[in-house]
Amino acid sequence: MCLAQRRPAVHKRQSRHIIPFILGGVVLYFVSGMVDELRVYQGASVAVYVIAISSIILLTGYSGQVSLGHGALMAVGAYAAAVARIELHAPIIVCFIIAVLTAAIGGALLGAAAARLSGPYLAGATLALAIGLPSLANQFKILGGEQGLLFDVGFPPLSLGQDFTQYKWFFWIAALAALISMWVIHNILSSRYGRTWRAIRGNEVAAQLSGINIARSKILAFTISAGIAGLAGALLSMTIGTVSPSAFPLTLSFSLLTGAVLSGITTLGGVMIGAVVLVAIPEFADAVASRMGSSEKVTTNLPGFLVSALLIVTVLFVPNGPVEQHRARKAKKAALKK
Amino acid sequence: MQLLNTFLIGITAGSIYSLMATSMVLVWRSTRVVNFAQAGMALLSSYFGYEAVSKFHSFWIALPVAMIGGAVFSAFVEMVLIRLLVKHSSTGPIAAVAPIIATLGLLGVIRATVSMVWGGQNVRIIGPVSNDGYTINGTTLVFSPLKLLILVTVVILMLALTVLFKKTNIGLALRASAYAPEIARLAGIKVDWVRTLGWALAGATGAVAGMFQTVNGNGTLSPDSIDFSLLLVSGFIAAVIGGLDSLVGAVIGGLVLGLMISFVLMYISGGLFFIAPFVILLLVLFIRPQGVFGAKAARRA
Amino acid sequence: MKAMNRRKLITVSAVLAAVSLAVTAVPAQAAEVGVSGSEIKLGMTLPMTGTASLGYNKIPGAAKAYFDYLNANGGVNGRKITLVVKDDRYVPTEAVAKTNELILKDKVMALLAPLGTANVKAVAASVNPARRGVPVLFVNTGFSGFADAKKYPTTYAVLPSYIMEAKIMGQYIKENFAGKKVGLLYQDDDFGSDALAGFKTAGVNFAVTVPYASGSQGAAAAAGWITKFKAAEADVVILFGVSSATSAMLGTAAQLKYAPQWMLGSVGGDATTIKLTGVPAGVLYNAIGFSPVPATTDMKDEYVKLFSDIYAKAVPGSAFDLNVLLGMNSAFMAAQALKAAGPNPTRKSLLAAIDSKGSTFANSALVPLGYSKTSHVGLTGYWVGKYSPTGDLAPLGGTYVTYTTDSGAGAVVKSTYVRPAMPAKGLPN
Repeated sequence: MCLAQRRPAVHKRQSRHIIPFILGGVVLYFVSGMVDELRVYQGASVAVYVIAISSIILLTGYSGQVSLGHGALMAVGAYAAAVARIELHAPIIVCFIIAVLTAAIGGALLGAAAARLSGPYLAGATLALAIGLPSLANQFKILGGEQGLLFDVGFPPLSLGQDFTQYKWFFWIAALAALISMWVIHNILSSRYGRTWRAIRGNEVAAQLSGINIARSKILAFTISAGIAGLAGALLSMTIGTVSPSAFPLTLSFSLLTGAVLSGITTLGGVMIGAVVLVAIPEFADAVASRMGSSEKVTTNLPGFLVSALLIVTVLFVPNGPVEQHRARKAKKAALKK
Repeated sequence: MQLLNTFLIGITAGSIYSLMATSMVLVWRSTRVVNFAQAGMALLSSYFGYEAVSKFHSFWIALPVAMIGGAVFSAFVEMVLIRLLVKHSSTGPIAAVAPIIATLGLLGVIRATVSMVWGGQNVRIIGPVSNDGYTINGTTLVFSPLKLLILVTVVILMLALTVLFKKTNIGLALRASAYAPEIARLAGIKVDWVRTLGWALAGATGAVAGMFQTVNGNGTLSPDSIDFSLLLVSGFIAAVIGGLDSLVGAVIGGLVLGLMISFVLMYISGGLFFIAPFVILLLVLFIRPQGVFGAKAARRA
Repeated sequence: MKAMNRRKLITVSAVLAAVSLAVTAVPAQAAEVGVSGSEIKLGMTLPMTGTASLGYNKIPGAAKAYFDYLNANGGVNGRKITLVVKDDRYVPTEAVAKTNELILKDKVMALLAPLGTANVKAVAASVNPARRGVPVLFVNTGFSGFADAKKYPTTYAVLPSYIMEAKIMGQYIKENFAGKKVGLLYQDDDFGSDALAGFKTAGVNFAVTVPYASGSQGAAAAAGWITKFKAAEADVVILFGVSSATSAMLGTAAQLKYAPQWMLGSVGGDATTIKLTGVPAGVLYNAIGFSPVPATTDMKDEYVKLFSDIYAKAVPGSAFDLNVLLGMNSAFMAAQALKAAGPNPTRKSLLAAIDSKGSTFANSALVPLGYSKTSHVGLTGYWVGKYSPTGDLAPLGGTYVTYTTDSGAGAVVKSTYVRPAMPAKGLPN
């Protein structure tokens, strides 16, 4: 890896870049008031994906560990939140915090086990986790079995008016969570932890020689990534209203990976792109199929086909994501000019 | 009796997983890629077999057709997809994930295409011999002529592959191209073609697994059937358990996995259907992270 | 890099906002959602693909066949009925997503015959059609809870509940298999637990119960089930799963020469579907089955004759089976409900129509409907039949003897209900 990292030109103590996130929040506030309910619901889904995808970016793009099972970690967070709600009647914020902590613990365990594995073996273990863990819920009554648990965040407070729909409430909660998480993650990634992970990913031996404790860093990455995924899982359950094994199928883990690749797995900047594409593709495919007036067979399968095809094309031709690609092209142009 | 039946169920299922695991090991050894689309290719090959059955009404014609179809398709994928992949994304963080994602994408494309082309039809493949259980002294075993055939074929295929790898020049070329491609090139081996050959062999093996999995079930072929999901997951897990580098490991891994799942489902609970493979995999990786027969050095991808 | 990120974030947010605004043009407010001067839109979610879809994926074609017939004969009060169908692959979370699309994007007036206990439950909890006032008509599940008008105020059952079915099965077992060992195969979710509750009320004691995880039903699993039933020496085995589970069980049983007295639950009991998977007719022969509607091979029945004619014309080459009959039946009932809702139907008037007139809706079933202002109970019973040598369900002794009961502790009684004549041409009058 001999690409020079672009050093920030200015090192002054910035207000930790909170301005763009506040700005983003304001924009979203206005947007949510102007679009119809389906869009708002989809907006909530996008927010959930943004959080989940960024957990993958942290784990894979930064610390170089592959996980095919983040769906399972999302499930852990979701179940923790639901159980907290049902058994402890905890307020929603507490439920989400419990979700993050529980999933983080799970991530720490997984990370400790995974430290000995790499490449396809890690992929295999996380794959097995993705399939097996959610169905574990069937074995314990407190986790509700196949039908799952109800996760009810309650109705929006009356102070927001009669017309404030449930889905808008979901959107607000999810968007707020996403903005906060993005800000936190962005700061973690720009800190020395992020640099440590990138060093490990780049050359593990060199990193070890320079004094980095590989195992501890890797486990930390897994822990934080899992906590974030847990939050996404709890938010996902909020939008669906229930937590059940079927909400976290293997395809969810694959979708997250897809979204991360589409966004550019090494950088947080493009994460919206991946999330929007994941939510938009089924609808786009639906529109295409109905315009073509094709048979039921085609209509049902077209979304899956498009997502998978897009995935192949992206990983072949835009492997580092559109943001990184764009930046590399600009850097090349700038270099050529000199 | 329950014990015997559990054992028989496990061995038969396990032998098919072995085939699947073998094809994944073949791909890994020739190109260092885990092909998540292997079961999808097996599915597609089985549809080729189905078309042959519709025309020629013979399983014994359909099987080679499926194998050839599988081999050709796999070779095609290697030439187009994998070479592009290696060219564009062999460095950087994406290198670890790129083949996984590309093959996952391929799996989705194959499944969707198969559904679009053959979906809605009632696609069935009837085995060449009966799948009715043998009856001994009035009790019927969960073992039939068909299951016996499957076991025998798997053994023959494994022996053939082992002979190929250990005793022939092509086998040597295959091994050399995987472990030391530059040296192999220097020795005059056309490494690219050898890699394609590895994939073709894997495709043919997968096709056999697909055809057997279909006829061993109730004969219905469908992209949604539980059979192919099982093939995908179990094949992969068996390969990892056995150690991705080892053909012997693939066989043993498949059999062990089949047996263990069978015993868990019978004696503990049927509800553990989806958890059992996961737990078994984790146990193995915990004790031996490189798989039972894997070489330690090969653990690093 | 940081400035770039900020710019990217704002740009993308702005683009998203602009696109959203552009794409969501606000249409003129219609009289009622899903109702226009010429058309009424209904929506359906069910598994069209996936392990559970076997047999059920014929339902949309069946319902559409009836609606096309209806539309060709004037529709309902001059309006055509359009059915929008979405595949949820029997996954509850997908049912939620697809139902959201139906209500918010396709803007259907009502949901028709959504399939699957867990799916309908998930939709009720998340999409909350009750709060939105969206009618959920004739749900394609026998879960007894859906008939509770307080919990699900806009939802109407149609199939007899699993508790009713279990009680009738239990009665039959008491009368005919007293003292024999009984085994049960059931799905490991709400569908299965409802059945278990019914058998408990009926006082059936099982020698062995075998749950299967939804999605795991296949030949491999079936071999395991059979081994368990054999070990418990069950004389009677009740198959209370979906069609793909029943088919897997019977197919594997044939291979293993396992032949207890089979009893098939109505959900997975459609003979045509089972036989299509290669199960020999001989395996089904003498199994006991239940159905609330006439046998699908009974061409002397006026409903079966008309519906199979309509279906044969609309979907040539496709066999007329129980799923088709039930699908067309629900479509027929929906048409009557819409007609009774008046010349300018609204969601409210539709609900009121079913509450007040629903129990008199013409339909092919041989047992009465139980709709009223306080009850959303649909059909209330079954007739008992045996599968013929060709593997088709036919009533015991040749004539339909129906039994009715409730989802509570009420007794199982022989019904004296006589089905009224079909309205002319099978159209709502």
